[in-house]
Amino acid sequence: MKKTHLLCTAALLMGTLTACGGPEEPAATGAAPAAQPASEKPAEGGKTTVQFWHSLGGKNGEYMDAMVKRFNDSHPNVEVVATFQGSYDEMVTKLQQSLPSKTAPDVAMLERAYVEMFADADVLEDLGPLMKSSNLSEGDFVSGLMGHSTFNNKLVSLPLNRSTPILHINKTLLDEKGLKVPTTWDELKTTAEALVVKEGGEVKRYGLTMPFDTWYPMAMITQAGGTFFSEDKKTIGFYDNGVGSKVFGYLKDLQGTGALFYPPAKDSGNIVNQMFTSGKAAMMFQSTGTIGSLINTAKFEYVTAYLPKDQKFASPTGGANVAMMSSSGNKQAAWEFIRWMETDPQGALPFILQSGYLPFTKAMAESKELQDLWAKEPARKVAYEQLQYAVDTNKSVAWPEVMKEFNSVIEAVMYDNKDIQASLETFKKQAERILAGQ
Amino acid sequence: MDRSLLLRLLDHAGKALILLVFLFPFLWMISTSLQTFEETMSFPPVWVPSSLQWGNFAEAMTAGPFLTYARNSIVITTAILILQFAVMIPAAYAFAKYTFAGSGLMFGLVLLAFMIPSQITFIPVYMTMADWGWVDTLLPQIVPFMSNAFGIFLLRQYFRQIPQEIIESARLDNAGEFKIITRLMVPMSMPALATIALFSFVSHWNDYFWPLVMTDATHVRPLTLGIAKLRETEGISNWNIIMAGNVILVLPILIVYLFCSKQIVKAFVYSGIK
Repeated sequence: MKKTHLLCTAALLMGTLTACGGPEEPAATGAAPAAQPASEKPAEGGKTTVQFWHSLGGKNGEYMDAMVKRFNDSHPNVEVVATFQGSYDEMVTKLQQSLPSKTAPDVAMLERAYVEMFADADVLEDLGPLMKSSNLSEGDFVSGLMGHSTFNNKLVSLPLNRSTPILHINKTLLDEKGLKVPTTWDELKTTAEALVVKEGGEVKRYGLTMPFDTWYPMAMITQAGGTFFSEDKKTIGFYDNGVGSKVFGYLKDLQGTGALFYPPAKDSGNIVNQMFTSGKAAMMFQSTGTIGSLINTAKFEYVTAYLPKDQKFASPTGGANVAMMSSSGNKQAAWEFIRWMETDPQGALPFILQSGYLPFTKAMAESKELQDLWAKEPARKVAYEQLQYAVDTNKSVAWPEVMKEFNSVIEAVMYDNKDIQASLETFKKQAERILAGQ
Repeated sequence: MDRSLLLRLLDHAGKALILLVFLFPFLWMISTSLQTFEETMSFPPVWVPSSLQWGNFAEAMTAGPFLTYARNSIVITTAILILQFAVMIPAAYAFAKYTFAGSGLMFGLVLLAFMIPSQITFIPVYMTMADWGWVDTLLPQIVPFMSNAFGIFLLRQYFRQIPQEIIESARLDNAGEFKIITRLMVPMSMPALATIALFSFVSHWNDYFWPLVMTDATHVRPLTLGIAKLRETEGISNWNIIMAGNVILVLPILIVYLFCSKQIVKAFVYSGIK
């Protein structure tokens, strides 16, 4: 990780150096309509081409393509070319190499945790003045989703396809036992334990499950009154106050009684989804991104609820933002695309309705279409309301690197039964080392 | 029961077990590709689909310009194979049958190229390609693979086993070097060539990272990227559709393998690589 981080910084630095250079040479190939974003030449028919890179495949990718088509049909002078660039991580690789090579897109979808890294390398356009020119303000957006939008007091990205972890519940099973939906850690523990079914020492049904991911422990750290990074970003904010050992102690305790099924890391998301839909796990911490499929496939009464609170309700957020590259040669057209997507009723709103990602502007949340959808599928509304407690305490340029180490802590504690305090102490030292290197 | 029969039975049972282990993911892929979405979501996993969902294949093929992806995959792998053979055969012949100044060093460099993973070279190669304006065409997916270090190495070993006397007698009959290569060396090395062709074909047909890095536009991208786009980034993927796509992706490899398998076994049995 260290190496790639250095490489990336180097690549990004080169990118900044060359991006501010002179005029671009047009591509010397006739073989393809070259992706030379920085050439101010309008494409054929007097159109300006805007290159947009994203990471959405499957059905959501189709909804995204449909949105781009709507834009192109309603904007005769601009042609947005949307390209799928693999996973969020692969997108980062693509951007890192395209910036110094001057083949970067105009607009890119960035997983929110990577925004800082690119903003720090100074390759993202300041959207502040553009927002002003379109009479938009940050107040128009849902504040819980703006945690990764500003960097050094500059607005560098806006929310697009955003999600958050939430509690998914098989209410049929809870009703059988006369149990209420848990709202606190203590209730979650008693409810999960009451739902366990054992046959001959083997657990046939678990109370709770969650994917292998840093997201859920991070949510619990904030719920228990800690923060992931300390205020000054020099160390972690859940070791000295005992929050870390409380969170992992709680999880180990549930795991020990068979109340919690902690899945193998590989493909953990699919495993827990299957267990939940087939009634092998009564409750699940999982992304809001699964709500749509679960509504369609669950053969039981399916509801969602806030992640239970300890000291307070809290949830991190996930998904991706949209950003403009400062190397873009078509900033006006690129901004028109972003502005339209973020605010036009024909922009991202239909995409949000179809995909189940969270509405990110207040106007979107108040729109009739979304209110109708929530009336029909209340599971989605819960996710939006939980955003009032959204807090991203892992905001740091070093997060991608620290995340890898934090994964090792989860593995050591949840799989290998390593001592919690010792694992956290090791992690604290590593995190401090990485943070000091920034 | 006499002992030899028992041993034979054990032998067969062992082979069957190993076969099953290797076939397992394969069978699962085929089974999943014929299931409904609900079946892919059930736990414990469904093994035999209740009704065969052939529609999954149609759906996988309508996701994106499928024919474009397939055409690119075929063009890229075919071009790579032709270029590789044009470079590899003369190179291996020179390394096998000639000693010239620096030949040892040159062969060492070839082996070195064989050991460097593409993740290390992709940034400088990408920058070169960007300078030449080749990014986003088929060229960067073909030209960097013109030379196949592993192929040169394997073929050299094979050529070295062909007795010098045969070459000498051909020379007495006034055969030029080119004729010796095409009429003698190549026909006698068919097993090795088939092996190299298969390995090369499979690795480039399945390559995901390199084309993702080198291209942006849909119309120059291969099947692997088309299939990858079937996956959901977040949320629940339609595994039945993805697996149908994978079955389509794997079919050509199976066909090529059926053609090459006899030759491959020969290559490893008779070649110097034990």
